[in-house]
Parts: sequence; structure tokens; C-alpha cells
Amino acid sequence: MSSRLLSLLVFSLATSGLLAQSTPQTQEPEPSVQSLLERIQRLEKRIGELEDHQRGQAAVSAGSSGSAAVDNTKAPQTNAVLEQPASHENAPSTTAVREAERHYPSLQIRGFGDVDFSATDKKGSVSGFNLGQFVLHFASPLSEKVSYFGELSFTAQPAAYEVQVERSIIRYDYNDYFKISFGKYHTPISYWNTAFHHGAWLQTTVSRPEMVRFGGTFIPIHFVGLQAEGNIPSGGLGLGYNVGLGNGRSSILSKAGDSGDANDNRAWVASVFARPARLYGLQFGGAVYRDKLTPQPGRNFEELITSAHLVWTKEHPEFLSEFANVHHRDVLTSNTYNSQAFYIQLAYRLPWQENKWKPYYRFEYIHKPESDPVFLDVSDLVGSTVGVRYDITNYAAFKGEYRNSRIGKDEPRVNGGFFQTAFTF
Amino acid sequence: MMAYWKHASIALLLGCVCLSLLENLAGQNRDVDVAVVVHPDTPVSNLGLTEVRKVFLGDRQYWSTNIPVVLLIRAPVARERNVVLKIIYQMSESQFKQYWIAKIFRAESASAPKVVYSNDMANDLVTAIPGAIAFIDARDVRAGAKVLRVDGRLPGEAGYPLR
Repeated sequence: MSSRLLSLLVFSLATSGLLAQSTPQTQEPEPSVQSLLERIQRLEKRIGELEDHQRGQAAVSAGSSGSAAVDNTKAPQTNAVLEQPASHENAPSTTAVREAERHYPSLQIRGFGDVDFSATDKKGSVSGFNLGQFVLHFASPLSEKVSYFGELSFTAQPAAYEVQVERSIIRYDYNDYFKISFGKYHTPISYWNTAFHHGAWLQTTVSRPEMVRFGGTFIPIHFVGLQAEGNIPSGGLGLGYNVGLGNGRSSILSKAGDSGDANDNRAWVASVFARPARLYGLQFGGAVYRDKLTPQPGRNFEELITSAHLVWTKEHPEFLSEFANVHHRDVLTSNTYNSQAFYIQLAYRLPWQENKWKPYYRFEYIHKPESDPVFLDVSDLVGSTVGVRYDITNYAAFKGEYRNSRIGKDEPRVNGGFFQTAFTF
Repeated sequence: MMAYWKHASIALLLGCVCLSLLENLAGQNRDVDVAVVVHPDTPVSNLGLTEVRKVFLGDRQYWSTNIPVVLLIRAPVARERNVVLKIIYQMSESQFKQYWIAKIFRAESASAPKVVYSNDMANDLVTAIPGAIAFIDARDVRAGAKVLRVDGRLPGEAGYPLR
């Protein structure tokens, strides 16, 4: 008897343990209940409005039979739904349908921000906090086929904030295979440049790789002109393309030709990428960019950039790699210069503590010929970054990283610690 | 003392029976297929799982030139949403949210999937909005709804991938 009781006791302890383990799961539905309550409140409000509207209509139609027709013309999109017989048991809820319908324009605003701290052992450097970029993103469908996207950045400068229109795009979608847009873009010559834009929260690391640094000149970050993009019918290979024609770089190489072209020569860019269906998460592709640069009046250089990327966007692991070669040819002397840059970044979202931790490592490299007269601001670079990202919530993260890099030939290595809290709102 | 243990053991046994019944019930619920339902005018009737993924990732945005895809997805903690996140997106809830923020930020899509709060609401909207596509518990799909075959199979058939 005592052995039976003992086994029952052990069993009950095990059961209570299981039940205790399941307790956190029962807490999960809280947000759903909250959202349902909010929805019920909205629906009740809506029903009230509809009842008021119905009462009003009944009163008006009693006085004038013509006003109902006027009401119908005010809401042509919902007529198809309203005309369905109300007695039908499967008749869609008009309130829900009306709420779900697209309204044009339908502006959505999202913001990104970050606050940073840095300290390095570089001679003359000053450690301390700085406010990263404050970014506002606008997306607004203007019709079923036309959409607008905009991105504004506010960057702290010693005297004031610098406001920049980073992107301003109006796009017409013909179908999945052809979408044409006009405006200012991030040049699709680099994966990073078009994947993370100015949203520090979106990228795993504190900073962008040096080859795609904002304000840098290795590749043209921005592009003003027109762009066609879409899918290429390719079955499971999942091919896509981008083709653009624009102003190219301005006389300040880090800037795009927002206010006009620096010379009477258009730049063009073309990229092709693949997202194979059977290897969900994989993307690889290449791009070509051609431009004529006029950094100083009377000095012209042809620029040809070729790049390739291979990424695995899932986080178990995440793998990002890019390579770019920038070829310059002096139109006057026919001298040519080739510069190369690449980075490899590896990260892994750890399965513990609700997947909040994500350690990462990045190696990056830049080489340019010392004699290249275009890349006066570009330095050779060999550097490693190791760090960790901790997602505080679904919309905010802490990042901390250590960097060891050598910038310039025969220069001493620089060590630094960088911390960032990045968020979206 | 003996009577106390007798009652305790009976209560425990009853508890075990209840637990196993509940687990069976939950298990049955887990095994129910999730149907892919589209608006009746949508010009497709069969999609591969990879094609369904492409649609829900926002990589395919048009059924045809004039019919845009309208994605409907259940609110968090609904079983249908969990199935979609696990099998279609292969993402956690936070990864899913981040994915759509990034998608809109990249100007690849003008809006995220519309959230529906019940299968009734999903049935309503998928019937009313041209181009709409939704995941609905196969038991809740209304008669006459257009249910897609996934990899050539309908819900309830052997090898149906969404459950």
C-alpha cells in the first residue's frame, strides 16, 4: 500500500511540475484578450454609428425618396457588399469589410532612432554619447497600383540638425513582373544598402560595413532617377531584377545628384538576384553600375562598379556577404584604377531566453590603389567586429560590440567599444 | 488516515483522466487542417507550398494584372496564425513583425497583411474583398468558399501540409 501511495505521490509531484511549467503559456493570450476587447469596443462604436446613420436615413427617406441615391454615390466601393441580401446567413459583415477596405491615400508613418556610445584608443578621439539618426518613413498607397514611399533623416551636427530626404519614390505596379518608379533611391548596387536603409534597428550590428557607410564614397549610396523592378518568370529559382537610369554621383562623390546631374551623362544600374524557393532564406545576386564622374570641372572619370552578394537571411544562422570592385578610368590619361571591398558577417540567434540574444562577428576589408585620384577619402581597411544584440522587446534592441581595425596602410590598429540602443516606433 | 489517502488517490486518478481527455482534445485540435481560402474570383485553384509562401511573404503581389493579392492573417495566439508562422513563414512572432516592418521600409510592399480576429471575420472578408487570401480552420470554412489545393491536396487529404 505504501509503495502505491509513494508512486501516486511521485506522480502527483510530476503532474504539478508539468502544470507549473505550463503556467507561462496560459499567460500568453493576454494581448489577444486585450486586442479582442479593443475590437469589441470599436465594433460597438461602429454599430452605434450605423444605427444612428440608419435612423437618420429612415427619417430622411420618409421625407424624400431621392436622397438614398445620393448616399449610394458617396460610397461606391461598398455598394457591392451592401447590395447583398441581408437575410443571407453568409452575408459578410459590412463593418468588418468596410474596415478592411483600402482607403486612398492611406498614410502610414514609422520612425527609427538610435542612441550610441563609443570609446576608442585612437589618438585624439573623444569618447561619449551621440544621438544617432532619427528617421521617419512614410508609406502611402495612392491607389491599387500606385504607392508612395519616403524617408527623412535628421542627423545631429555640431551646430544644428541636418535634414535629408533619403528616399522619395512614387511607384506604379503594372504587375509582379514590372513596376516602375521615379525618385530618389538607395542604389541597388549593394545588398546592405537596399536591405536596411537607415533603420539601425533592422540591422544586426551597431554600424554598417565601411564599404556602404553613409557619407562614404566607395559606392554611390543614393541614386536619383527612375527604376524598373520585378520578378523574372523562373519557377523555383525566384529571380528578380532592378534596372535604373539616373543622375549618378554629384561632384561631391558621397552625394547624389538631387538638384541635377554633375555632367551631361546618365548613370545606369542593373541588378539580378535569386531567392530559390527550395532554399527559403537564401538570396544571391549581382549588380553593375556605370557612371561618368566629374569631381572637378574638366576632370572626368569613367566609373564601373560590379558587385555580388550571397546572404542567408534566417537567423539560425544569419550569413551576409558582399563584394564590390570599383573601376575608375581617367578619361584624359586612360589610366585605370581598381579598388575592392568585401565583408562577411555571421550571426546566430540563440534559442534560449526567448531568442533575445544574437551574437555576431564581421570581417571587412577595403583595398584601393594609392594613386586613385577619385578615392582621395577612401582608406585601406582591415577590421573585425564582434558583438551581441539583445532584443529588449519586439521593437527595441541593445547592441554592444568590440572593433579592432587598421585604417590606412602601416597605421596602428585601433580598438574600440561601441554600444547602441536602436528602436522603431 | 487511510480514508484520506483513498480520497486523495481517487481525486488524483480523476485529475489524470481529465488531463488525458484535455490533452486528447487539444491533440485533436492540433491535427485539424488549416484551409487556404481565396476570394471566389481569384484565378488560381492549386498552389505549391513554396508558391503559398511566396504569396504570404509578399514576393508575389498580384494574382493577375488587375487583381492584387490581399493578405489576411489571424491575430496573435490563434492556431491558424501559429500554423502560418511555423510552416509558411518559418518565423517567430517577433521575426514576423520585423519582417513586415522591413518589407514596408524597403518599399517592397505598401502595407502589411490585414489582421482578422476570428474565422468568421476571415470568411467574411475573403468573400468580400477581391484578391483576398486567408488561412481558416478547415472546420470553419463556409460552404461554397473557394478552398485552394496546396501541393495538389485539399484539407483532410493525406499529406496535406498545413496542420
